[in-house]
Amino acid sequence: MYQYTKEDRALVQSRVAEFRDQVERYRDGKLDEDEFKQLRLRNGLYYQRHAYMLRVAIPYGVLSSKQLHTLGRIAEQYDKGYGHFTTRQNIQYNWPELHDVPDLLQDLADVDMHAIQTSGNCIRNTTTDPLAGAVADEIEDPRPWCELIRQWSTLHPEFNWLPRKFKIAVTGSANDRAAVQVHDIGLRLIKNDKGETGFEVLVGGGLGRTPYIGSVINEFLPTADLLTYLNAILRVYNQEGRRDNLYKARIKILVNAKGIDAFKKRVDLEWAQSRFEDDTFTKEHIDQLKSQFPAPKPLATELPEHASEVNSNPLFNQWYQSNTTAHRDSRRRIVFISLKSATAPAGDATAEQMQAIAKLASTFSDSEIRSTHEQNLVLPHVPVGDLYALWKALVKENLATANIGKLSDMIVCPGLDFCSLANAGTITIYDQINARFDNLDYQHELGDISIKISGCMNACGHHHVGDIGILGVEKNGAEWYQLTLGGHAGNKAALGKRLGKAIPQSDVADAIEHILQTFIDQRHEQESFASTFERIGLEPFKENVYATAA
Amino acid sequence: MPLLRNGELVCNDNWILIEDESDLPKNHSTMLISLTRYLALQHSETNSAVGVLLTPTDDVHLLSPHKRKLKLIGIEFPSFTEGRGYTQARLLRKRIGYQGELRAFGDIREDQVSFMQRNGIDSFHFADQPDKALVQQLVSRFKTGYQPSYQYPG
Repeated sequence: MYQYTKEDRALVQSRVAEFRDQVERYRDGKLDEDEFKQLRLRNGLYYQRHAYMLRVAIPYGVLSSKQLHTLGRIAEQYDKGYGHFTTRQNIQYNWPELHDVPDLLQDLADVDMHAIQTSGNCIRNTTTDPLAGAVADEIEDPRPWCELIRQWSTLHPEFNWLPRKFKIAVTGSANDRAAVQVHDIGLRLIKNDKGETGFEVLVGGGLGRTPYIGSVINEFLPTADLLTYLNAILRVYNQEGRRDNLYKARIKILVNAKGIDAFKKRVDLEWAQSRFEDDTFTKEHIDQLKSQFPAPKPLATELPEHASEVNSNPLFNQWYQSNTTAHRDSRRRIVFISLKSATAPAGDATAEQMQAIAKLASTFSDSEIRSTHEQNLVLPHVPVGDLYALWKALVKENLATANIGKLSDMIVCPGLDFCSLANAGTITIYDQINARFDNLDYQHELGDISIKISGCMNACGHHHVGDIGILGVEKNGAEWYQLTLGGHAGNKAALGKRLGKAIPQSDVADAIEHILQTFIDQRHEQESFASTFERIGLEPFKENVYATAA
Repeated sequence: MPLLRNGELVCNDNWILIEDESDLPKNHSTMLISLTRYLALQHSETNSAVGVLLTPTDDVHLLSPHKRKLKLIGIEFPSFTEGRGYTQARLLRKRIGYQGELRAFGDIREDQVSFMQRNGIDSFHFADQPDKALVQQLVSRFKTGYQPSYQYPG
């Protein structure tokens, strides 16, 4: 993975010193509330319902064992002993004290981490495929490009005060695991007829209260032009994006108002002039970044290609089937660690769990860990012969829930319990669903199915793109939930269709049960929920849910 | 109003801002007028203004033919979270090649100065007396950036 240079280190250390000084000036009354808010947001520090919340960047979801160990220690030292992994591959701490935050940032800087631009109206952490560099279906490793974008976007002097936040996602694989169609900019590494690598560039995707699937703005951008082209898009957005209405300020609104053709013309006009001016980079620079993401060492050929214990241990077999997937080296597997047990909120990990995973990664996975946008963790490079030992160790830490991609592997925003924007609780819905469908065998029979829960229209739980989406709404002071079906975030991204009127909190698990029963009744053999929905449409689900509810 | 130019507080600044509704003073050139007024005056013999104050929606390319005549271009930041002025400054310096003084007006805060400088703004019109030592500390905090074409001054 990427190793910080002297300059990277100097920059994050300066940033800590700067923030320490800003906190001091704020406490001395020399920085007003409004200005301090903007400055702290650019270091990931929010003020939430009960306390400050700090969001730490995990650039493109890649962590070393040492870094994860430190994230665990921070949870213990400055928080209540846990952290929350987010849908943008970052981690949040819900209970830091303001006066501790400079020290916390110092601890992060000492392991080459930071919280720069994890909030505020600026370019946020770039996200990518959590399986990058490990999976077989890759055109090119996206991580060096993500690092290039990380550097370019960090403290960019022109684009630090945008109309609204700005999120970029990159996929290096034809099989999109980075949801590039629902980002402000989505980048797909592709090859043209001549075998050259470039990017297909999408713009104006996003969820939130006005969801859009991104439009293609450039079918093939040569990789050497990446940053100048991003600069041109950002420059047009910075000048023309709406600043009069918070809810209409994202780039998707601008793209949609102008139309993609007119927007593209405007960007091309800008780019024709700017492509030799600002944000060019050298081939040496990207080659240097590429050299920092080597493939894991080849394993000796006599090592096994099959985990023999799958035949003797059904629980291990169940975990193997759902929580591991093929590595490009057949002597390794990619292992998912589920952070969706029934005993803690989705995406939460305790300090002890983080430190245990850090240690397991150094023993079994080249000291590397990934965070996923589904709020789980990944050990990307585990030798097949070590899987059983790893599984046993994970079981001990309550980290072996065999539910990746299954019903209980839900994406859940923090909701009313933590977030000041939320209209309704999400953790209680997560608990209800876990309690109702606690049988893993039943979940495995259902196959892959995604439930995504947001506590408000801002859609941090990505409810628009869940097979089953659940949106919390407030109605006469009570918490109600609006269901959508048929959403999808992968290659053929689609927004879910609204099932019908909102239902009260107490009825959500019942409604899910009716939806699943409809699916089981109508399903052809091993058909997935998504295919069944595509075939039969909304009506049969609607009838079942509302007939019984009435 | 306190003015910070090249890291120094300047007292004897003789630029005046003339609103669109006010008459232009005679025999005075160091005045800032709006872009619309400046362009309208180009064919008038009474035109002696050598300064323009831009609002966030102004298109800086319109100043390209006048870049050598202009001595001061002001960029208005109605609030410190307004970001358009950064792009305006960048385009004036890098694309249009304006070499005169570029001054930030409006809601200017010490913590913004470094970002503004990297886009080519070289003087700052503060509403209240800025803390000069603090500005010096802030602008010297970062030695290098990831965007080499946006240089730190000095």
